[in-house]
Amino acid sequence: MVVLNFTLTPEAASKIHDLLVCLGKFNDTVAIEARRERFTFTALHPAKSAYAAVTLHGKEFFTNYECVPSHGGPDGRFTCSMYTKALLSVFKGRLFDPLGRDGAIDRCEVSVQERENETQCRFIVKMVCNQGVIKTYKLTYEAVDVMHALFDRSLAKNRWSMHSGAMKEYIEYFGTKTEKLDISAGEDGRCVFKSYTEKIMNGKDILKHPLVTAVAVNTTDFDDFSVQAGLHIVINVKDFKAIVVHADTLKTSLKALYSQPIRPLQFSYGCDGLLCEFTLATSGDYAAAPPTPTPAPQALSSRNTSRAPSTVVEREETRSFRSDMPPPAQPASRRDGSGRLRNPGSRQASSVAQAPPVHHNSESLFVAEDEDETWAPLDYEKEETLGWDASANHDASAFPTFKDSGNMSRTSTSDSNQVFEPTQRVSQIKGLW
Amino acid sequence: MRFKASIQNVSTFTRLTASLNSLGRLAWVKLTEEQVCFTIIPDQGTQVWAVLAIDSIFETITVQSAADNVINLEVPLALLHRALKSALHATSAQIRLTKKDNVPVLALTIVMAASANTHRAFDAPFDDFGGGSRETMVTHEIAVRVLSPEAVAHLHEPATREPDVYINLPSLMQLKSISDRFTKLALADTKPSTASTASRTRLEVAANMHGCLKLSIKSDAMSMSSTWTGLTNPELDPGHISGGAESIAGLPSTRMKQLGSADGRSDEGWSSVRIDGLDWGKVMSVGRLGGRVIACFCHEHALILYVYLSNNNGDDESVLTYYISSYSA
Repeated sequence: MVVLNFTLTPEAASKIHDLLVCLGKFNDTVAIEARRERFTFTALHPAKSAYAAVTLHGKEFFTNYECVPSHGGPDGRFTCSMYTKALLSVFKGRLFDPLGRDGAIDRCEVSVQERENETQCRFIVKMVCNQGVIKTYKLTYEAVDVMHALFDRSLAKNRWSMHSGAMKEYIEYFGTKTEKLDISAGEDGRCVFKSYTEKIMNGKDILKHPLVTAVAVNTTDFDDFSVQAGLHIVINVKDFKAIVVHADTLKTSLKALYSQPIRPLQFSYGCDGLLCEFTLATSGDYAAAPPTPTPAPQALSSRNTSRAPSTVVEREETRSFRSDMPPPAQPASRRDGSGRLRNPGSRQASSVAQAPPVHHNSESLFVAEDEDETWAPLDYEKEETLGWDASANHDASAFPTFKDSGNMSRTSTSDSNQVFEPTQRVSQIKGLW
Repeated sequence: MRFKASIQNVSTFTRLTASLNSLGRLAWVKLTEEQVCFTIIPDQGTQVWAVLAIDSIFETITVQSAADNVINLEVPLALLHRALKSALHATSAQIRLTKKDNVPVLALTIVMAASANTHRAFDAPFDDFGGGSRETMVTHEIAVRVLSPEAVAHLHEPATREPDVYINLPSLMQLKSISDRFTKLALADTKPSTASTASRTRLEVAANMHGCLKLSIKSDAMSMSSTWTGLTNPELDPGHISGGAESIAGLPSTRMKQLGSADGRSDEGWSSVRIDGLDWGKVMSVGRLGGRVIACFCHEHALILYVYLSNNNGDDESVLTYYISSYSA
């Protein structure tokens, strides 16, 4: 039985609102991972093109934080997922209002009720308002595995940081219907953020083409700027906007770290015990990128140079069953990332359905995972291909993480002949038996 | 083909595009070094023919083309408007015609004073590093279509007969709020009738040569009307009339002066048109330009609005002409 109780100040509760609004732009469900020291919200874009994690430090962010996971000792964790909208209806805007107007709270107390002998497991939020009014919300949650995208900072030689307020002014210039954002460092001491749409239209349709907006910023206006000249990296403008708008609510500096196109990019920012990390898939002309002075990861050599679409399937959970965990962990109520009911009898079909449709996944960060691979022979040479959360405890199950390392590109077709390469050491998953 | 201009009056240009955009998505823009013409010809509704003096929006302009230094473009107004809006606080704004991937684009380049400085607490106040060019440059590219002279040759401004009544309109803000209210009430009248929305929102606008303007709407359930009095009927300039002072006497408006009264109570002397209230609301959007508006009534035929924009010298060199045709019933 997990013990998870924490108390929030009104300021902290309104920060939870802000971060949920931001995570809601990536997925309609948000995953929660509570550890002894910290509490993390994560959201993974259904197309697996973006991963967002907001970590709240137990001592700094909360007035009071207590988490004792039911198993796993010091590294144990409690994980679940909830609808972002459900949480947002509890963590409304204007929870923090110095004037104490409507909606303002005095404090917020959260606890998780998970009992072996009860069918009801609830995430309970108590909003203690002024004048002694207490609003109690009981939310249902779903036990899921939480995946983390690993990002290798040592390879990300390109970095910049800038105050989110300035960045927010720049995104306001962007046209409304644009899709992509090209971030490039010119040789003239300027960094260009260009929002555009990748659509080639002819004739009269030209006039329906969305606005292309390029914002050229002096690199001296950055707090810190160290990017290879001439490097272009492309991300989704929507993701970028969501991140900048959220960073601006915290009035912090936004940091970007990346290596080269088609390799992940990470934005991070945070203050007062709150740390946000967004790992985004990137695209761009890899071949046109100037040669990197950093040694390319070994995995790159095996990447298909023509960048044929390599569909990568990634499943949100590897466990189909947790013997030591009472409800609510059962698949019948389980929905996959897109919110469809998962049919327990059709794993294959549903995992295929989860594969991003017609999305050129050469851009995708995330590599495949399948329950079959647990049984497949281990290939030690591929040891580096998947990053496993080393700190996770393995008695409940393997805690999956994923990482872009380049050489997992392979084509998965919708037929049942998928072959997945083994990626995990047997020694690491001994906890399953 | 070359077009390059620096914009000196971003707010006028922005308001102009906003007003035009309410009537049509695309504008035919005719550029010369003497004037800029914006023309909106929607499939139905009001046509706008705007002729602007260069200095009302541009500071310097270069127009060069093989076709007598005239460039005709088809421009999506919403994008131009959005781009201009972001230039409102710019230190400078330039627009030019260029090509991108073989697509002609209007590139609007705006320079903003580096706002990033305000976010950096420890910035040296006299930081002239890099020649003091601490500015942010924003470039908007709007895909446009270049129209050949033949493609626009058949487009002509509508010809109308001599107006019966011409009158200076009252404040468009006032006029718009009243006509919008009429239209709203007409739409709220949900009595099941065979009349379509368009015929329900039909406004009748009438004026006489004695400074009266009347706006009315009728439906099965109601009849409303507002009358303005004490407006002015501008004097015609004999110099602008072919035939001079003698022919003024023969104009229909001169005859209309004999009819009606200044209190608007008389049934005589009115020249009226029936227009669509929804369309009228879009026309009224030109009020944001703050120009002087003269309405010319051709009885049961058309309403023509001339919106004069004053430039720095106080001359009315820029004029937007709205052609609104009258519904027969």
